[in-house]
Amino acid sequence: MSLLEIKGHSGIGPTVNGIALSAPDDFSARYDLDRDRGIFSRPSHKLYGEEFVGRILVLNAAKGGVASAWMLHEMVEKAKAPLGLLLNDGNPVMAQGAAFAQIPFMDRFDVDITSAISTGDEIEIIPARGIVRILSRIKT
Amino acid sequence: MKLDDVEKAMLDGKYGRAAAWAIEFQKDVGTFFDAEDFVPIRLVHVSTDRETMGDSGIAFIEELGSLRPSERYPRAYATADFRGFDKENFSFLLPGRNLEVEVRQAVDALGKLGVVTNHAYVNDHSVTAPGFGEACGYSGTPSVIYMNSIVGARCNFEAGPSSLAAFFTGRVPRYGFHLDAKRFATHGFRLSFSPENIVDWGVVGALIGRELNSYWCVPALELTGPPPTVLELNHMALAMASYGSIAMFHVVNVTPEAPDWETAAGGKKLDVKTVDSNDVRMFYQEWGGIGDELDVVALSTPQLTVTEIIEIAALLDGKRVHERTTLLIYAPKEIKEACARIGLTQIIEKAGARMVHGHDFFATFAKEIRLAHKWDRLMTHSVKMVNICEGYGYQPTPASIQRCIQSAIAGKVIG
Repeated sequence: MSLLEIKGHSGIGPTVNGIALSAPDDFSARYDLDRDRGIFSRPSHKLYGEEFVGRILVLNAAKGGVASAWMLHEMVEKAKAPLGLLLNDGNPVMAQGAAFAQIPFMDRFDVDITSAISTGDEIEIIPARGIVRILSRIKT
Repeated sequence: MKLDDVEKAMLDGKYGRAAAWAIEFQKDVGTFFDAEDFVPIRLVHVSTDRETMGDSGIAFIEELGSLRPSERYPRAYATADFRGFDKENFSFLLPGRNLEVEVRQAVDALGKLGVVTNHAYVNDHSVTAPGFGEACGYSGTPSVIYMNSIVGARCNFEAGPSSLAAFFTGRVPRYGFHLDAKRFATHGFRLSFSPENIVDWGVVGALIGRELNSYWCVPALELTGPPPTVLELNHMALAMASYGSIAMFHVVNVTPEAPDWETAAGGKKLDVKTVDSNDVRMFYQEWGGIGDELDVVALSTPQLTVTEIIEIAALLDGKRVHERTTLLIYAPKEIKEACARIGLTQIIEKAGARMVHGHDFFATFAKEIRLAHKWDRLMTHSVKMVNICEGYGYQPTPASIQRCIQSAIAGKVIG
């Protein structure tokens, strides 16, 4: 039973559920992450210092260029990857990187996904059907 | 996606295992973006800096290379601009890493597949550029925006593995900038001033990139003053792509698909926002650093041309870089050798600077370099590098080449 179901464009990768790490900020594996330590390393990023490994990242837009495609794959191989990625506005690099690394990825939602999902929410992503379910909300 | 008979046969493995992997991968990506079909391509550029590829990327390419040749037949011409390997300078920059071996691995793996690894920068037309309107499969961020905007070729970001897929299939999914409707300007800008140097052009690109912040936005820009050089446009393009993931722009009356506003915007009337010199000044101010001790100056991204190196040599002639500051000047191997033949390299090295060839500063384990040398304050004329290196823990200051060199001599950031 989900609390809320959000519709997006059909995505890439397998169905997963996990805990969200959410912010109204943008995303690049090169620009924003310390990929060795598994934390956001860009001081101006709203998730600066947060651990991302095993979390479902919920962010606004794909940022920067092509590096993320190889990097997402390397992060999966080193067990330093997020569990999934939801963006309001993706780009080819994120789609290619997700397809190559088999990281679940969706974008183009019918709501602002960063407002709809908060850090700590338990969510399920079903990319093949273009659905995100909020299973439980973090208690504040 | 609609597949023709050849594409169906690729998917069924009849064109070899590499093509089967590639077409399935491309079909997934194309479906994600609602591509109706594929478009044939002849030229591919593979982005291959060693840090980005990682060990797993090399392993993937080596695995493809271990297939029998009939299983990995190429269906396009592919190049990767490695820009050589500079043993002396990379041993200094990365004392804890045997980058020579790591780079050699990548060159060998790509070479086995038939990807040409050369030393020159693809935006300098080291490979004959695609023609106007020609679809291509370019990987490097600056190369894609350059080909779309300045050459008028058609390309999406085909990031590393995606460009390899294009190499094996000879096609790419037809979406985004392969479609006429997606190439029209979506936003208008007017420059109310004339940028003074290439860094100012980069700042203009950064401001527009930040403002739009979406791959699917296409800015058109009207200028005041003389038309920009290709290098100035290239700096603006890099920054737009870096700060906004932008892959195409128009400059009215300059770039090939923008003879006028109406053509650039596909007949739409766009609101036009003004970018003025105060916006540029504010951008510089936000990075600060004036008066700080200066650890490193990295002039790269894009790597330098001979004309810029002439300017640097003139600024350094008879001077000495401050002992606390490292001055790094990046150029492709052939450019560096050409500079040595006319005495520029000698002037630069006599002043205590380093001429580096090989991958860019930001793309060669820049975080490791910072930690190895305990560097903090960085200066560069590349606003793209500023954007990336902030994430690697540097405190970057963007400035003109002239200010960068003067600061390197002074050992501190001068205003």
